Amino acid sequence: MAISRKSRNVGLTLAIAVTAAVSLNGQEKGPRTPWGDPDLQGIWSIATITPFERPSALADKAQLTEQEAAEAEKTFLKTQNQDRRDGAGTDADVALAYNDFWWDRGTKGVSSRQTSLVVDPPDGRVPALTAEGRARATARAARGYDSWQDRSLWERCITRGLPMIPGPYNNNYQILQTPDNVVILSEMIHDARIVPIDGRPHVGQSIRQWFGDSRGRWEGNTLVVDTTNFTDKVSYRGSTEGLHLIERFTRVDKDTVRYEFTIDDPATFTKKWTAAIPMARTDEQIYEYACHEGNYGMVNLLKGARAQEKAGGEK
Amino acid sequence: MRKVLMLAAVVFVCATRTVPAHHAFAAEFDAAKPLKLRGIVTKVEWINPHAWIHIEVKKPDGTAEQWMIEGGTPNTLFRRGVNKNSLPPGTEILVDGYQAKDGTMKANGRDITFPDGRKLFIGSTGTGAPGDPPEQK
Amino acid sequence: MRHWMIGLALVASCILPVAGQTPSTYKAPRSPHKDGKPDLNGIWQANNTANWNIQGQAARQGPILELGAAFSIPAGLGVVEGDEIPYQPWAAAKKKENAAKWLELDPEVKCYMPGVPRANYMPYPFQIVQTPTHILVAYEFASASRTIYMNSKEESPADTWMGWSRGRWEGDTLVVDVNSFNDQTWFDRAGNFHSEALHVVERYTPVSRDVLQYDVTIEDPKVFTRPWKMSMPLYRRAEKNAQLLEYKCVEFVEELMYGNLKKKP
Repeated sequence: MAISRKSRNVGLTLAIAVTAAVSLNGQEKGPRTPWGDPDLQGIWSIATITPFERPSALADKAQLTEQEAAEAEKTFLKTQNQDRRDGAGTDADVALAYNDFWWDRGTKGVSSRQTSLVVDPPDGRVPALTAEGRARATARAARGYDSWQDRSLWERCITRGLPMIPGPYNNNYQILQTPDNVVILSEMIHDARIVPIDGRPHVGQSIRQWFGDSRGRWEGNTLVVDTTNFTDKVSYRGSTEGLHLIERFTRVDKDTVRYEFTIDDPATFTKKWTAAIPMARTDEQIYEYACHEGNYGMVNLLKGARAQEKAGGEK
Repeated sequence: MRKVLMLAAVVFVCATRTVPAHHAFAAEFDAAKPLKLRGIVTKVEWINPHAWIHIEVKKPDGTAEQWMIEGGTPNTLFRRGVNKNSLPPGTEILVDGYQAKDGTMKANGRDITFPDGRKLFIGSTGTGAPGDPPEQK
Repeated sequence: MRHWMIGLALVASCILPVAGQTPSTYKAPRSPHKDGKPDLNGIWQANNTANWNIQGQAARQGPILELGAAFSIPAGLGVVEGDEIPYQPWAAAKKKENAAKWLELDPEVKCYMPGVPRANYMPYPFQIVQTPTHILVAYEFASASRTIYMNSKEESPADTWMGWSRGRWEGDTLVVDVNSFNDQTWFDRAGNFHSEALHVVERYTPVSRDVLQYDVTIEDPKVFTRPWKMSMPLYRRAEKNAQLLEYKCVEFVEELMYGNLKKKP
């Protein structure tokens, strides 16, 4: 779908506006740690109702008006309410899973009223996959319930992985700092990302990790985190072990950290792309997330699939 | 003007809704086996991403069955003030859900209420449903 | 001639780590957060056999024949004060049963979070990241971690694997009070266990640049007849560019735990 000039201009304007806001803060003195680094510390939530990619019907629209945003929030709360039982007795109803009180999807869109979290390319959509990327995506979609290896990393209780994306719950992260390290603690699945900022090199190429290997540095008021060394078992939207993830954290005001990530994986995506997600200060606490220690879900879904096969039909 | 507003809002929201289910509920639980259970809580396992509520269900013939009911992530509830004392053993609850595909005594707690119809834990704020308290944040 | 020997002994006693209750004259550098507290930041690791058995033991053959001497069980002096764990009679029997069924019952085998204090003496490093309000202890094993809340009166909403930790300073010693445990973790591979009534008090004292003295008191009225103590040094991982790597062991145990539920070819 061709990107209209109007939409490109709006997208550009939005990007410039945000960049301007960031560099403005670069000149003023935001909160600082006792040794003088910008202070990103606190507990932050990335819950938001803004969709990841811009819906195709809004292709020309990079930003909602204030009225539209308010309307969207109201509609969201009504339609996303899990207590609706319109489809009782169907797989769709089973998939809605539980009462609304268990969820924490957020109730607001991002304050910039952007119509997607993807901000580059300007059409708000993830760029096309390469042929190799498409083949991998197809293979992945075909996987069922033969083994735990067919299931996602969070169903296996391994990790929620990178980058940080809003989900239906557990959107809380805690940032701690020392002169040598910035730590990003994610509640799900209890991952403490310790990012050295002392200028040391990445570990050797033979060391591959689920979270890759991260190195951070300050660029003005922005913490830039460079991550490589992913394993080939990690797949963010089909990414490979060649994924190079660049994240940026900037404290834009007392209650907000702007989180931006760029995906660079030429084997999978035809272009680099970027998403921006504001992190909002929260008073809420992060709690222990014991997952593998009671993963009845994995047992149940494997047993369910085996029972289904025995009964002579796969759904 | 109002029509345009509504369209933008609805399309915006529909996009969010297509976020894939984080978990294959339809693989664990059977839409063709809906059930309604009434039981007494014996134990709650506060683990993530699914709490499990163990209940004892008395059958008409006087025997008792031990069922496990799958809930959502307890950490969301903890942030709203719920703790391990909020659902003590001995509490009676109603479960409207779907049985496990393997036929064992496990069910998806699709809708869990007290016998008087109140939702089990405090209702989430800001659902916009009539009677909900005003948004706290 | 004896003077130089005495001098050497004096110098040696200054640089060797001091174990046990001897008060330390070492003063650690202060935290970069400028709150006047000692800086415990760094990567630390115990270097003993406590994870095998917190009590003293002789070496013996390991459980897997093919692994031979690469995986048999070493001897250890133990870390328990007095080398005695005061179990109630029923609990002493349960400990024996645990030990006999170690591979089947030890939560470590399944890559479950190890609890406290075991996480501190497993054969993997851990990292302390210290701020005035929160001290994070991140363990390489299973990516477990715990947050020590400083000056907080908040209680845990539920029982947990790693407990709920509240800390305060007593001089240069970090004192951590841990409760709200579930009953699922063990103290070692020898079957030593506890109930959900477990209460742990830890003391971390810097005694030299690269050593923390770690003393921990265990209390559990459902399992033991009185409180008891463990004590050991924790050593800094002093190599250049030391960092925690991943030991996300869930994928190493899936076959063990779910293998019988896989689709048969």
